[in-house]
Amino acid sequence: MLKYSVKRILGMIPLLFVISLIAFMFVHLIPGDPARLIAGTDATIEEIENIREKYGLNQPLYQQYFDYMANLFQGDLGQSIVTGRPVLDMLVERFGPTLSLTLASMAWALIFGLLIGVISAVKRNKWPDHLSMFLAVSGVSIPSFWLGLMMIQLFSVQLGWFPTGGIGGFETYILPSFTLGAGVAAIIARFTRSSLMDVLKEDYIRTGRSKGLTEFKVINRHAVRNALIPVVTMSGLQFGFLLSGSIITETIFSWPGLGRLLINSITARDYPVIQSEILLFSLEFLLINLLVDLLYGFLNPKIRYEEGS
Amino acid sequence: MAEAATQKEEQQEKKVTPTQQFWKSFKKQKVSFAAGIFLLLLFVVAIIGPWIAPYGPQEYDYDNLLSGPSWQHLAGTDDFGRDIFSRILHGAWISLSVGLSSVFIGALLGTILGIISGYFGKWVDSAIMRVMDVLLAFPGMLLAIGIIAILGPGLFNVVMAVAIFSVPVFARIIRSSTLAIKSTLYVEATQSIGSSHFRVIMKHIFPGTVSTLIVYFTMRIGSAILIAAGLSFLGLGADPSTPEWGAMLSNGRDYLNNAPHVTFFPGLAIFLTVLAFNLLGDGLRDALDPKIRD
Amino acid sequence: MKLSRLLTVLSLVLVLVVAGCSSGGDTEEDTSSSKNNDKKTPPSSEEGLTIAVESNFTSLDPHDTNDNQSYSAQSAIYEGLLGFDKDLNIVPVLAKEYSANEDSTEFTFTLKEGITFHDGAPFNAEAVKANLDRLSDPESQLRRASLFELVEKTEVLSEYEVKVTLKEPFGAMPNNFAHPAAGMISPKALEQSNQDLARNPAGTGPFKFVEWKSGDHLTVEKNEEYREEGLPKVDKIEFKPVPESGSRVAMLQTGEADFAFPVAPNQVETLKEEEGVSIETKPSLVVKYFSMNTMKEPFTDPKVRKAMNYAIDKEAYIKVVYDGYATQTKSVIAPNTQHYEEQEVYEYDPEKAKELLAEAGYPDGFETTIWGGTSSLKQKMMSFYKQQLSQVGVTLNVVPMEGGTLGDKIWGVDNPEDAELELYNGGWSPSTADADWGMRPLFSSNSFPPDAYNTAYYKNENVDELLQKGLSTADDKERGEYYAEAQKIIWDESPWVPLAVPDILYGKQDYVEGLTMLSSGVMDLKQAEIVSE
Repeated sequence: MLKYSVKRILGMIPLLFVISLIAFMFVHLIPGDPARLIAGTDATIEEIENIREKYGLNQPLYQQYFDYMANLFQGDLGQSIVTGRPVLDMLVERFGPTLSLTLASMAWALIFGLLIGVISAVKRNKWPDHLSMFLAVSGVSIPSFWLGLMMIQLFSVQLGWFPTGGIGGFETYILPSFTLGAGVAAIIARFTRSSLMDVLKEDYIRTGRSKGLTEFKVINRHAVRNALIPVVTMSGLQFGFLLSGSIITETIFSWPGLGRLLINSITARDYPVIQSEILLFSLEFLLINLLVDLLYGFLNPKIRYEEGS
Repeated sequence: MAEAATQKEEQQEKKVTPTQQFWKSFKKQKVSFAAGIFLLLLFVVAIIGPWIAPYGPQEYDYDNLLSGPSWQHLAGTDDFGRDIFSRILHGAWISLSVGLSSVFIGALLGTILGIISGYFGKWVDSAIMRVMDVLLAFPGMLLAIGIIAILGPGLFNVVMAVAIFSVPVFARIIRSSTLAIKSTLYVEATQSIGSSHFRVIMKHIFPGTVSTLIVYFTMRIGSAILIAAGLSFLGLGADPSTPEWGAMLSNGRDYLNNAPHVTFFPGLAIFLTVLAFNLLGDGLRDALDPKIRD
Repeated sequence: MKLSRLLTVLSLVLVLVVAGCSSGGDTEEDTSSSKNNDKKTPPSSEEGLTIAVESNFTSLDPHDTNDNQSYSAQSAIYEGLLGFDKDLNIVPVLAKEYSANEDSTEFTFTLKEGITFHDGAPFNAEAVKANLDRLSDPESQLRRASLFELVEKTEVLSEYEVKVTLKEPFGAMPNNFAHPAAGMISPKALEQSNQDLARNPAGTGPFKFVEWKSGDHLTVEKNEEYREEGLPKVDKIEFKPVPESGSRVAMLQTGEADFAFPVAPNQVETLKEEEGVSIETKPSLVVKYFSMNTMKEPFTDPKVRKAMNYAIDKEAYIKVVYDGYATQTKSVIAPNTQHYEEQEVYEYDPEKAKELLAEAGYPDGFETTIWGGTSSLKQKMMSFYKQQLSQVGVTLNVVPMEGGTLGDKIWGVDNPEDAELELYNGGWSPSTADADWGMRPLFSSNSFPPDAYNTAYYKNENVDELLQKGLSTADDKERGEYYAEAQKIIWDESPWVPLAVPDILYGKQDYVEGLTMLSSGVMDLKQAEIVSE
């Protein structure tokens, strides 16, 4: 298992290399001149030239890329053009809030998703199934910014239960993580349902039932474990979705995370920050999926890792 | 496009099971069936919308800004005094096209890549799948934002952004079903007789992937419409004067308090449409997937 | 793994994540959320004020800043030799008095005595020289170096007297000294690298810097040694960036914010109904306009440009776009700008517009394209022009572009003949509140893109000469005459369709007093206080 993990992690390096190159090209393909944007509306040509020089933006592109990569290998992500701070500091500062929001969203999405999914599968085609599936499908059918804004209206302004935004104690997590996790909860619920329905038809479940185990025991002990495998894979993929979703959720709830930093950096064409964020997002995604694959094996020891890759 | 999909469905059923059987099991999925009918009606509305709408989509009335629903304006008026109901009717076609065409392009590319990858295997497979990994590892919204930033805003570019978003998803799924079909003896036998690759793919592999394709296709349309709405929220969507639903919803968000109808109706239209596509997808999956069908 | 056990584990994770974060969060957060429960009780002056602003702060180094929002936070910490009062008159701040020689090349400042910076360094002539030397150093690469690029040298005359000599005459120089970017930084703080200075400020202002967590909050606290007796009146101010305008309004409604700027015009209605919250407005310095490329057909013809002016109903514009929170502009600069001169407006008259178009040889109108930003407000403006122009037969294509792209398309063009630009939806606010900066970058023939912002590619030798004359004298009356003349010529030739001067809109709880916005869009925090009955 260790050998497999090391192999997978080594395999990520060329991938990250390619991503860094794409990120660089991508960032420079976007029309716009960061120096002009940063200098502001009433800046003079000299001021703009100053900024270009300061951040090496007047160098040829390949030179800029080599400089970027050379620094990257020394653990230096460069300086933000907007704030002049080291990009690494900025990312470290923003990483915590995004990660905790993502984890909170994922955790409750899994709790509700699994519960709803199991109830549906067990009560198949009865009203609890229809109701919970309707809820689940609704969860993926609402534009998240609309959901978020309406929740602020209802729970913050009208009822005064939760703050409208910002990061802080427990209560500040509820609305944003609900907004961010709603879609994922719904997807997990649907997956759990169909996967559990498959499993419930298998022989060993029938055997369990015929042995006289209660339905609860059958489901809790045998079915869920097997049904979880595809659910886990799906959840791993959904992390990417959460990272994307964080851009909108963080904007609505004034959350000081990576998503908002990203959208601000793109608007300001803050090249070093955008590049590093893309790399970080990709790395995060790859690592989570590695974790998922490992968990996969844990849930189903029959899978051997050599095949899994 | 809807027509094309039904044709595919029919072909598919002739091969595997009779069409009637699909119908029989699909009709059992009452909710999905209703969703299907809703979508059919929606398509009709989308086509005839401009003729039945009481007002033009750009017909402004500065003396009648943000008025609530009334008999004159069934869904009220927006911040230019335009009739929201008429705009929803006019916009149905646009919003559906954004969803359908972007997923269609994404599915087309993804399917081609997935089949090639799964069928030929070896280095072709690894090359294509590595590229797909990179695309998947790029958070989708980021990719879309980048594409819009490069190409500029506008409906067509939104479609492209959302399409590229969908390519790796389809490529992965189609690859795995290609692998499954390929491993059946049946294809191996055909191959050994000496048919061309193209023939094998078109005659045996592709039809086998169609049921998976249809299910994911319907489900992705919903996400495509939502992504387009999200891009509007970030100011990267369609020209806000076009009556595209996502743009309408996002423009109206400043009026959530004092004129909630401006967001409610387009929001409802998006919600119902996405809901219907998802329910339809669920039903199709149950009806097409022999494992789940009783 | 059993389902029940899995769920238990997950719930634990959820609790841990959230508990971990809440223990990580500082105690101030808890006060702000508890504030939420008992709705709108005024905070004590120890708790201080919470101000919701639009975007992230970029820097706390005034010399290296060019956004109003960062200036707002800086104005709590820094002061300049001169400053603007509420009506944008120039008043001495750290200077006791100042004088200029006749051709405005030499400025002498007498400084107030006994002032210390937050870090203990004394404020004196040497400190002023250190600041001005930094700003005027051509190698400095500071964003605001341009304000002081004309400074040739700064001399210390005595401990509290400084003389600044310019390379050439510049009549509007006092405005530059009053600009928020000319804040005086402690010489001790200046020893840091620029990057550290941006986050560790030390000035002489009423508030001292406490901490800044990007994207979350920036906190300043009372400067106990502030030179003015009884000021400041609150112990602490916390700024929170809240990008979504609906969320800022919600924070005022729930009492999470005591003050919010800006408030979107279309949300004023909501706040008006809210008890305990009031909305304040004041005209800004911004002029909203769209320019017409005067070097491109059909806008080479002044008749066409006038027709465009008659075709747009400015009152409807104000109603639709700004919900009434704007005033019609009667010159190419805003009324609060110095040397403003009112002109005769082009009343809305689509018939006259059509006549003029016919006279110019376009009886059936023409098709043209407007470029502008992507914000919902800007897009709304452009949709409005489209609707209005369609009434006189002009088909307008609206092309919204993201700021960066727009910059490239307009300012990436070196040769005016190559410009693709036809119409440009713009807005201009002279940050020094002086007529020179309100007109020269926009109408001088030296200001064609990429050098500056003359997007109309407008060239008139008289205007060029008048603007130059205005620069080279310090006599206010004389300057006023030159600028009045220039405004008249430009208005007459109409390279723009000037539309409106939008209001600055901000919301506050009724118990907040003394905290206002200047027309320039910078916050004035010095007198802020919490009034509890």
